[in-house]
Amino acid sequence: MRHPKRTGRTSAPGRKVRLATAAMLLVAATMTACGDSKDDDAKASAPKAPATIPELTKDPLTLSFIWFDWPPAHALEDFANAEYKKERPNTTIKVNTVPNANWHDAMFTQFAAHKTDFDIAILDSQHIGEAVTNGNILDITDFVKQNIDVAAYNPYLLAAYGQFPQAETGKRDENASLYGLPLLGDTWTMIYRKDLIGDKPPQTWDQMISVAEKCQRENPGVSGLAFHQANGSDAAAVTYNTVNGIYGGNLWDSKTRKIDGVINDAAGQEAMDVLVNKMKPLTAKGSGNWFIDETNAAVAQGKACIAFNWIAASGGLLDPKQSTLGTTRKQILDKLGFATLPTQKTNLVPLGGMGMHVSAYSAKANQAEALNFMKWFERADIQKKWAAAGGVPSRTDALQSPEFLNAGPFNQVYTDSVPRMRDMWNVPEYARLVNIENTNVNAALNGAKKPKDALDDIAKEQQGVLDSSGRKGGGGL
Amino acid sequence: MSDAVPLTTDHPGQVASATPPAPGRSRRLSDRGLAVAFISPALLLLLAMSVFPLLWALYLSFTDYSATRGGPANFVGFGNYTAILASAQVHQRALTTLIYVVGAVVLQTVLGFGIAYLISRRTRGRGALTTLFLVPMMLSPVVVGLFWRFMLDAQFGVVNSMLGSLGLGQVEWLTRQRTALLSLIVVDTWQWTPFIMLIALAGLTAVPKYLYEAASIDRASEWFRFRTITLPLVWPLLLIAVMFRGIEAFRLFDLVYILTSGGPGVSTETLSFHVYKVAFLGFNTGTASAYGILMVLVVIVLTQLYLRYLNKLKEG
Repeated sequence: MRHPKRTGRTSAPGRKVRLATAAMLLVAATMTACGDSKDDDAKASAPKAPATIPELTKDPLTLSFIWFDWPPAHALEDFANAEYKKERPNTTIKVNTVPNANWHDAMFTQFAAHKTDFDIAILDSQHIGEAVTNGNILDITDFVKQNIDVAAYNPYLLAAYGQFPQAETGKRDENASLYGLPLLGDTWTMIYRKDLIGDKPPQTWDQMISVAEKCQRENPGVSGLAFHQANGSDAAAVTYNTVNGIYGGNLWDSKTRKIDGVINDAAGQEAMDVLVNKMKPLTAKGSGNWFIDETNAAVAQGKACIAFNWIAASGGLLDPKQSTLGTTRKQILDKLGFATLPTQKTNLVPLGGMGMHVSAYSAKANQAEALNFMKWFERADIQKKWAAAGGVPSRTDALQSPEFLNAGPFNQVYTDSVPRMRDMWNVPEYARLVNIENTNVNAALNGAKKPKDALDDIAKEQQGVLDSSGRKGGGGL
Repeated sequence: MSDAVPLTTDHPGQVASATPPAPGRSRRLSDRGLAVAFISPALLLLLAMSVFPLLWALYLSFTDYSATRGGPANFVGFGNYTAILASAQVHQRALTTLIYVVGAVVLQTVLGFGIAYLISRRTRGRGALTTLFLVPMMLSPVVVGLFWRFMLDAQFGVVNSMLGSLGLGQVEWLTRQRTALLSLIVVDTWQWTPFIMLIALAGLTAVPKYLYEAASIDRASEWFRFRTITLPLVWPLLLIAVMFRGIEAFRLFDLVYILTSGGPGVSTETLSFHVYKVAFLGFNTGTASAYGILMVLVVIVLTQLYLRYLNKLKEG
């Protein structure tokens, strides 16, 4: 289209006005975006929840959770909608699930936006530090004092799922702040084939390895061991940390924040050697990317003599529809046994499970409902019902109740394991620390790195993360 | 209704200015104003969705800002850029990405052009064959990654099962350093060869038939015809397809995420996957922004050089 005579063209002052308006709009947009940073400053610490539950709404309300997609998430939604609705008919419980590998991202990207589509975040115990430091979850210390019987719990469980700074193994700091309450307890169980290795589970780690070796030799097509080796989530890291603990190693010195020289000391090296040179050769070919589901599949299909998995994810093993070990639960249980982890130099086991944490960005009515739900959930009678519904409770009375102990063959394992638990680092840098450990252990397990090199790299890189707080630029590399 | 306006004139400007405005149109709304009114929504959207985030990322790249930690965005100058350029980790990912891009694009080009050449020689069922070959390209990379993950599983996968039936041993496709990267290249090739094929097919169809007829009269061999007629005429179009695939492959993320998670260790971590980890594991937004800007710069510079080469080829 030609315009030889620009009849409609704006005059020079008019153009200036338009340009000025556009510039102002751009500046305003930039200021708005910058304004968020100032807000961040003001909210840099976790806001406090009220000590008493505010008045609850009578309007219909959906209380949303966020968790990763696994059987306990679905069990929680069904259980809560069946039981909590009896007390709060206007409330619907929705458990939003994401793939395990996206779990951290899904929660923390919403926290970063200061707007969440969930009211209760189910955080891994190690995520608490990051969420507290960023002010993403409510400080519920006063609420817990007023509403929760803390004496009813093993102190370590209460500390592991709610306290920040981190609790030392078996100790709870009574004066530390609490940011969450236990939702689901968990630890590893040893799953063994009674029909292949006998009714009595191996008692020491070395014994377990030799039993697995013998079983593999005598049963072609069945591998001696199955465990988590993947480099996503915390799979390979938890495996190494477990062996590290059992062989007397430590992940770090929390007081001096020292990792280099601690994780890769003699005990750490021995643990890595055991994992890569003694345990890995007993696993199935190509199992270097196995996590929860793949390990369960190997057991259910009769392809492993001994396996290690989280208790909360083991329910499916007893389902005849998912198993080739029997056509009834009893037939499967004739072949499968569940035991606490063998001991060696120590009897440590990994702490699993998660706590409930109230989103700081949730609406006030939803935060009130969330607090009410948590108070309800931690009641003795509800904890027992949760146990009967397939959950793993944290209250000591529920852990020792027949409702829990009779609900699954692995539940006694959990109760026995509680005094033996050890967690990882509960610090804001957790996500990066676990990624370093995961990728290096996975590299060692799959022949991409020598075990010693992998461990030394873990120590060096993790120490670099802890020491990098004052660095100018390049954080996160 | 207004009178008909002559479409051409010796004095178009005068006629245009004499044209009465359409009924109902505001006298104050000129042609230019109308153009601005039509363009501005798209322009504003572009500014809001692309230009502003890019400028904002550029600003953040000079700071130590973290999206989750909050606090002020402290200016660190070129600190993020120098750290990235000097990082051994980044060099390793750059090498992995380079091997992947070269491997995947070369394989796709050879296969894509080969398939297109064979299809172009067929007279019957050409459309059906083309459509069939295009199917992988229509699928989501995540879906493609998931089903290849199952197919390449060392224990239960169909690929190893087939190898077993041929008497060959099991291959750990996704958990060994060399085979994992090779698997990524193969899966990407499976999905994106049709893209090269489609463009090559368009080029092959456009080659004038009389050139082949003339060559036939001269009793030119098949190879001679391919080398002197087909390839030179299709080559420029093929190079454009290679450029698009190169850019796409350079920013590969989804297949790595689904198939290998960057493993074993970090041996299949590409630059994009590493940026994702920097951005979302530690939420080091400033560093991740600088990393992203550097990747864009690399693509722009390489594309410019490539386009210059293409222009020279065209001029030649």
